[in-house]
Amino acid sequence: MRGEGVVAGPAERADVARIARLATRCRLVLLEMIHRGGSGHAGSSLSCTDIISVLKFDQMDWSADRSAGDVFVLSKGHAAPAWYAALIVDGDLPAEEIGTLRALDSRLQGHPDRTRLGLVDVSTGALGQGLSVAVGRALARRLHGRDSTAYCLLGDGECQEGQVWEAFLYAGAHRVSGLVAIIDHNGSQSDGAVDDILPLRPLADKLRAFGWHVDEVDGHDHGELRDALRRREPDRPSAIIAHTRKGRLGPGRVLLDGSHSDLPSAAEYAAAVDFLETLLEGGA
Amino acid sequence: MTSTRDWFGTALVEIAREYDHVVVVNCDLAKATRTLQFKEKFPDRFFECGIAEANAIGVAAGLAQEGFRPFVASFGHFLTGKFLEIFQTVGLNDAGVVLVGTHAGLAIGRDGPTQMGLRDLALMRTLPNVRVFQPADGTETWQMMTHLATDRRPSYLRLCRQSQPEVHADGYRFRFGIPHVVREGADVVVFAMGGTVPVAVEAADRLAADGVTPTVVNVSSLPVDRATVARLVGTHRQAVVVEDHYLVGGLADEVGRIVLSLPGRPRFDVLAVPDYGQAGPPEDLYRRYRLDAAGIAARIAAHLQDAVR
Repeated sequence: MRGEGVVAGPAERADVARIARLATRCRLVLLEMIHRGGSGHAGSSLSCTDIISVLKFDQMDWSADRSAGDVFVLSKGHAAPAWYAALIVDGDLPAEEIGTLRALDSRLQGHPDRTRLGLVDVSTGALGQGLSVAVGRALARRLHGRDSTAYCLLGDGECQEGQVWEAFLYAGAHRVSGLVAIIDHNGSQSDGAVDDILPLRPLADKLRAFGWHVDEVDGHDHGELRDALRRREPDRPSAIIAHTRKGRLGPGRVLLDGSHSDLPSAAEYAAAVDFLETLLEGGA
Repeated sequence: MTSTRDWFGTALVEIAREYDHVVVVNCDLAKATRTLQFKEKFPDRFFECGIAEANAIGVAAGLAQEGFRPFVASFGHFLTGKFLEIFQTVGLNDAGVVLVGTHAGLAIGRDGPTQMGLRDLALMRTLPNVRVFQPADGTETWQMMTHLATDRRPSYLRLCRQSQPEVHADGYRFRFGIPHVVREGADVVVFAMGGTVPVAVEAADRLAADGVTPTVVNVSSLPVDRATVARLVGTHRQAVVVEDHYLVGGLADEVGRIVLSLPGRPRFDVLAVPDYGQAGPPEDLYRRYRLDAAGIAARIAAHLQDAVR
């Protein structure tokens, strides 16, 4: 089913290469932020960098004035550096703020806070709450007669929260359109593997049973992600289960063996930067 | 005699006619919270979330962010129980949701403490940007509803199940944060809120027979204006808070903080619920917890006697 009806032409393939380069730059920025700040969830941010890149640089109608267009809810708020990095790479935030992550009075709070940074659509941090807000925003847009989409990025461990399933149940039962949930399925959470802590399987079947259109993709493949985002249905909510690896830097390379919240040492940081810069020089 | 939840239900329909952006998010309690009339009149603006209050609060925050003014209604005990969700999705988002918590206090009676809104104020008052409203009668409910429809701030509206008499005279104007004297007196000033306001007035009537004339003040919105409370306390020998809420975290804390900052250590006392509460007929519960007119009058009389000694 994957890629059905979507055959990429040369221009689109070039576009995917553009997204890949921007994603690599995001990884450099978010690692610099966390390294300079001495704090932050590097692994969780790296696992969803490709998803955020496809949304921010390609699929979303999202502009910094926030008066119209799509909505982005980062329900797994601990991956905030990945969103801040996309804002910086896209020119929405000044690069001077890279060094302010988690600092006193910074706009770049440890978890996204819209009362401090207007480029955050919804404040998050305690897990499980973002999808409900995305549902409300999609309902409001339907009531206003606006054709736009509320995107919500969730963690897989986060899907152990009951409220997530209240929101899945509501949106499926009411066929809430203009709503896309993307699950960053890296299989890992704070205390270990999701399969060991509390398995979600069969996640896709559960979501389908809740009335959602469901796709499963490689969450580091920009082409697959884009195709899945285009495949959503007009009259019900869509979920994309994006299989990812926590801490992924690029092909064949993972930071800190996929740790949830460990900080890279100076040497690990330098090696990661070398790897990413080599990728950029190689055109990816 | 009508309950403030009934006044709320009627006023909601009227303000919804005037303000298109007023919507309702329900948690399977439309009959009990009196949002049913709204549902019948404005089905497209009524969102039924079922028995899933956490999601309902999030959906309401999303609607508020898009310009609507959602009223999310449930029992106050259930709604404010989703405190983590209110803290983050409403509070930290500064989302203009009106959380409507009905069945405040002991008045739900026989259903017992798992249904009683007795710690909702304590929870809502920890959130710096959430304003609290509790009307004492129909006049005030109508005015508060207009205020809430035209305001955009996160708010908690606390409503009672029991019927209450009107305590405000014609011409009363609700002003946010300003306590209102409903009975002028001397000796002691009694601060009450919502359902305890008419009970405190009745207690004042009883005391009048013995020559004691308490001032009764309706504190219907929080945070309360400090200067007004300080002036009222300063012109009386004693201050008493009567509230249908746990002893900790409610109106007593609010007034007490002001009293503590005043010179001369005014005498201060609190009548509230000191334990979890229990099931029973409402009149028995109010008598047991000494929150009925007789209990309030007896406590005030005892204090004044102590003061004379």
